[in-house]
Amino acid sequence: MTQLATTTEPLAQDRPPARTPARRGRIRYARAAAVFVGPFAVLFLLFYLVPIVYAVVQSLYTVQRTGTYGPAQEVFGGLTQYRLVFSDGPFWRSVGRMLAFGAIQVPVMLGLALALALLLDSGLVTGRRFFRLAFFVPYAVPGVVAAIMWGFLYSPNLSPLKPITSTFDLLSADTVLWSIANVVTWVYVGYNMLIIYSALMSIPTEMYEAARLDGAGRLRIAWSIKIPMVRPAIVLTAVFSIIGTLQLLSEPQVFRSFSSAVSSTYTPNLTVLSLSSIPNFHLAAAFSVVLALTTFVLSFAFLKTAQRRSNP
Amino acid sequence: MSAFLRTIGVLLTSAVALTACSTTDTPAQNPASACAPSGGGPVTLTFTSWIPGIEEVVQAWNAKNPDIQVKVQTGPNGNGGTYQNFFNQLKAGNAPDLGQIEYDALPGFRVQDGLFDLGACDIVAKAKDQFVPWTWDQVSLGDAGSAYGVPQDTGPMALFYRADLFDKAGIAVPATWQEYAAAAEKVKAAGGYITNFSQSDINQFAGLAWQAGGHWFGNDGQKWTVSLADPGTTKVAQYWQDLIDRKLVSSVPPWTTEWDNAYNTDQAWTWVSAVWGANSIASGAPKTAGKWRVAPMPQWDGAQASAGNWGGSSTAVFKTSKHPYEAAKFALWLNSSDEALTLLNQKANLYPATKAGANLPALADGVAFYGDQKIYEVFAKASTQVPSGFTWGPSMTATYANASDGFKAAVSGKGTLLDALTAAQAYTIQTLKNQAIPVA
Repeated sequence: MTQLATTTEPLAQDRPPARTPARRGRIRYARAAAVFVGPFAVLFLLFYLVPIVYAVVQSLYTVQRTGTYGPAQEVFGGLTQYRLVFSDGPFWRSVGRMLAFGAIQVPVMLGLALALALLLDSGLVTGRRFFRLAFFVPYAVPGVVAAIMWGFLYSPNLSPLKPITSTFDLLSADTVLWSIANVVTWVYVGYNMLIIYSALMSIPTEMYEAARLDGAGRLRIAWSIKIPMVRPAIVLTAVFSIIGTLQLLSEPQVFRSFSSAVSSTYTPNLTVLSLSSIPNFHLAAAFSVVLALTTFVLSFAFLKTAQRRSNP
Repeated sequence: MSAFLRTIGVLLTSAVALTACSTTDTPAQNPASACAPSGGGPVTLTFTSWIPGIEEVVQAWNAKNPDIQVKVQTGPNGNGGTYQNFFNQLKAGNAPDLGQIEYDALPGFRVQDGLFDLGACDIVAKAKDQFVPWTWDQVSLGDAGSAYGVPQDTGPMALFYRADLFDKAGIAVPATWQEYAAAAEKVKAAGGYITNFSQSDINQFAGLAWQAGGHWFGNDGQKWTVSLADPGTTKVAQYWQDLIDRKLVSSVPPWTTEWDNAYNTDQAWTWVSAVWGANSIASGAPKTAGKWRVAPMPQWDGAQASAGNWGGSSTAVFKTSKHPYEAAKFALWLNSSDEALTLLNQKANLYPATKAGANLPALADGVAFYGDQKIYEVFAKASTQVPSGFTWGPSMTATYANASDGFKAAVSGKGTLLDALTAAQAYTIQTLKNQAIPVA
């Protein structure tokens, strides 16, 4: 009722006089908006923008000292740290390793998530609620705990699956990347499935009825209606996964104590971690900035191609 | 939008100003020579450590010193996170007064200008002669009048071995490294491994190299020198490479459940380790109680007995402390009084760094886990055989991480230990250069 009154009132008046109340309203709204946005803006500023700016500033500095124990003097060094970043072989090899990891693991994981979501949505399975929860449970397990658990499963001497782990070395230089991929997939499949599943739930049932009238079977409906309709959800999960892949840290960090193939520069984030424990904060900051930009470029490029394909 | 940009601009300039301030202020704040009693009532000191049972040791101090109360905070071991915290706290200006710092990490903290030079405190300078000379080398860092920490404990090394398994297989306890390699073959034939090669904890290897006369770092006041592949270290690296090549040692990573399991289930028969390792075996392999004994470390040549050192800590006072004198007083009590040293030995098997510490009554007792053998007698002797003059570099974290990557590769058959050391040498030099630390 009141809503009706406020919206009709300005319309009833002439345009020029309507300006003043509208502006007053805008100011009032602006205050209300400020109250609502304020807490977010402050936290966003303090814990997001300030650290980013601080990292960028740190990355532009370098140190000078005299003598073997001379105290460090921080001086502006321009792009000195970035030159070191771009000439660091192990770092770029680790980026390449993560790209290979992502190229295989992300499609497999999202394919599984999509298949599980479609299966739950199809009505073919009984106990839908149970499975929805069961698939999601691994995501509730902290990443480190999941990595330790899988580490034990893979380990040749401690594993309950000894016949397998003592024949196939799942922790060797050739296999450990994919053993880690398996852990990541196990943790995140349910989470991604839930996002896709909730997108499936929002498809109006009329569409299925219409399709069935046109003689479409279950597979046809899944392929031609469901998948195109949940495309935005799939794109979203893909972007999250790309970001997650480049920032992989806890799983390989835990696997360092299980496998001799995981080095201190195995993933880009491990490199940053080792540098900050030296501590060489300036160089670590430069690595972080480059890593963030790389992630941004990749996610953005993926979004662009995904958009272009959907609007030809 | 413009307001948004302005905010960013203000933030940026303030951040720049902040970093600029922090760089110019810190060195001027604390004149290094001031080490006088604070005066003006009781003081409270903060102390961060990871030694098991340290709270009870500190309680003993607090009970007797109402004017200098110490608040202890515990954390993970140094490289497990506490050093990282210290570095961050130093950068943020809120480091504790005192911190547990191992000898190999002291140069790193000094390079970051984080330590108070206790040489300025007369009580510390006077106490110098109470400590075993090589431990004082570890804290004076090449400057005779300085002390960047008070030595706490040392890690003289010896050979822990399974007396029952050696007896049963009829193998003599090896006294030289040649005999050790020969024993390794027999142990393998009996279905076990003589030990694991510590691919991920480089400190053990450092101890082995130390025994063989290796010197990894040098510091002439002008420049650092790095020599991770010097003749002594090369000899050790080639020796273990041979054992790895012949599959006579296992590649189980140290400090893991799998590693404990190997000791607990008779798969690993010996461990060349430091005195505090007595605690590690007892807690990691409880099923083997009473079956272990300790013998001197195998020797390179029978003529001159030598022992390695693995680990050992100091209690350091951070530069940001407002009460360095009181902190020094506590650090001295903690590391040289009979009361504290006895407690530290009972709680954590620490072996004192003082000369008098070797005669502590607690160290004369037999240890049940080792069949009541008086194991500290072996370590007391080893302690006197540790070569002096071993210097640590200013960025051991980086050196360890890189050498460990190489050692892990060597264990999996890619390259050799010597390759790994050569690579770690180049990486260390680059790391120092990146921080503008002069290096030859």
